[in-house]
Amino acid sequence: MSAQNDKLLIDIGSTYFKVSTPESIEQHFRDFNKQILDDLMHKCGDTVKRFDAQDIHICSSANGGLSTLIIGTTQSYSLKYATNIAFNAGINIIDSIVFQDIEDYSIPSDLIDVVIIVGGIDSNGGQFDQRLMNYLSKLQYSNVVYVGNAPDAALVKAAVDKLVVLPNIIDDRLHIVETHLKDYLTNLYQQDIEGKEDIKHLYEITSNQIYPTPYVVNKSLPLMHDFFSVTDPFILLDIGGATTDVHYSKDLVSDNIVTEQGHDRIVFKKLGVFKSRQSLIFTAENNEFAYELLMHLKVTENIYNEHSEKATRILMQLAIFLVLCKMSHYRPAYVTLKLLAMNSIVFTGGITKVLNTEDIEDVVAFFYRKILNSDHKPVTVLDTHYDIWTIGAKEHAKCQ
Amino acid sequence: MAGWIQGAWNMKVVTGVIGNDIHVVANRLMDLSLTARGYEVFNLGVNTYLEEFFDAAVETGAEILLISSLNGEAEGWAREVKMLKAKYKSLDDLIMMIGGNLTVGSGNAEAIVPRYKNYGFDLVCHQVDLNTGLDMLEDYLKAHPPRSQETSGA
Repeated sequence: MSAQNDKLLIDIGSTYFKVSTPESIEQHFRDFNKQILDDLMHKCGDTVKRFDAQDIHICSSANGGLSTLIIGTTQSYSLKYATNIAFNAGINIIDSIVFQDIEDYSIPSDLIDVVIIVGGIDSNGGQFDQRLMNYLSKLQYSNVVYVGNAPDAALVKAAVDKLVVLPNIIDDRLHIVETHLKDYLTNLYQQDIEGKEDIKHLYEITSNQIYPTPYVVNKSLPLMHDFFSVTDPFILLDIGGATTDVHYSKDLVSDNIVTEQGHDRIVFKKLGVFKSRQSLIFTAENNEFAYELLMHLKVTENIYNEHSEKATRILMQLAIFLVLCKMSHYRPAYVTLKLLAMNSIVFTGGITKVLNTEDIEDVVAFFYRKILNSDHKPVTVLDTHYDIWTIGAKEHAKCQ
Repeated sequence: MAGWIQGAWNMKVVTGVIGNDIHVVANRLMDLSLTARGYEVFNLGVNTYLEEFFDAAVETGAEILLISSLNGEAEGWAREVKMLKAKYKSLDDLIMMIGGNLTVGSGNAEAIVPRYKNYGFDLVCHQVDLNTGLDMLEDYLKAHPPRSQETSGA
């Protein structure tokens, strides 16, 4: 019988899994020939058996998360708000479509986990018409949710099977209303995790809900200052095997979104050093500064074909550079951060086991010099003991 | 005027200060005055980009877009109004108004007003006091009632 406050925290990633007890934390490379549960019990069976099912808390990002396509009426409001909510719920965005031009967009061939339809304040109906139904009829999706203006809900519901209608995410003052859509997406993500054959077996050892890892990490952000020497505003980079998660202080964006939380999240789905290695290399090959960075690191492009410790280190350094590029004006993605105002840059995940502070600072300095023409130097903080995840998981376990 | 003040037309106005301009007091006065005259006001505040104005008009179904500017920065942005507005398929009937100090340094209304009208604004108020400007808007609306008001029988 475990003591009341003793919890076993487990994080299943696409490449590694981590197990944290009150005394220690261990990390293991996954054996992809085994079921996750078998692999976990083989490597950490003794530890797991010490805890009761109600004291074991598991989170996972191993399935890469859900995919969504958002159909909205404008970039600055409906699409932006839905994108923000989806990212913060741990969902990956495949595409966003401005409704007025919906006929010009191609139909994604992949199965979309959830389609989000949004647009207009409640006193402004008539935003959607038959073109929406025509587009949806050609699209392959598992779930569809409507969070737009109230008057159009009945029209869309009558024409779209299994449509879930939730309250509008835009209120009558054009402000964002997060709760309903965020809860819906988080629940959907959990159901997806539960439904994954591999993950399903983990319920044999826990009686608690399995949550998405980004959702758990998000819980730790307000507590960062208690554990690290971090100065606001900061970004937290979690470069994983398959994806890269960035959590950032909202002070780093000029935004018209007013929410209570101080941080937002963005995910780069195909930027990782193991499962997404090829995609990372492809991105690097299309970045004219990446070649210069390789020269700076005293290697050539042949490193892409190597599978060595050195190659992994270089790829991780490249990943840092590419993520910073994607967050800057140089290669604008969903958000452009004011990186010259950033005071701290925190790294967590497997990267902290491979690179040291010097390796990271070298790349960050290269980025600032080459892309932003600046000698700005944010303080680098390494979360080498996975404290961020542990704090988040503990906070989350407290709430359960 | 009384019927107007009671909000008989109940029209929606999107307003805000364009560009890198933080004259928030004028913006607040604009909001209060429009509300007092019976408009439903969507105030985007200061530092607002042109796309955000048009996007807000789409989301709210506003009949009027009232842009203000005090540091003269409007001119740089206003040049893009026609091109940007043309990308929106539902804003053909949007009444476009701009007011405040519309040039850097000195300038006279005779030169500035036609220039801004050429940029795509229906009403231009350069260094005109707030109430006079809003009276001009009401006169314009009486002469050119928006289609939404005609169909609602107002």
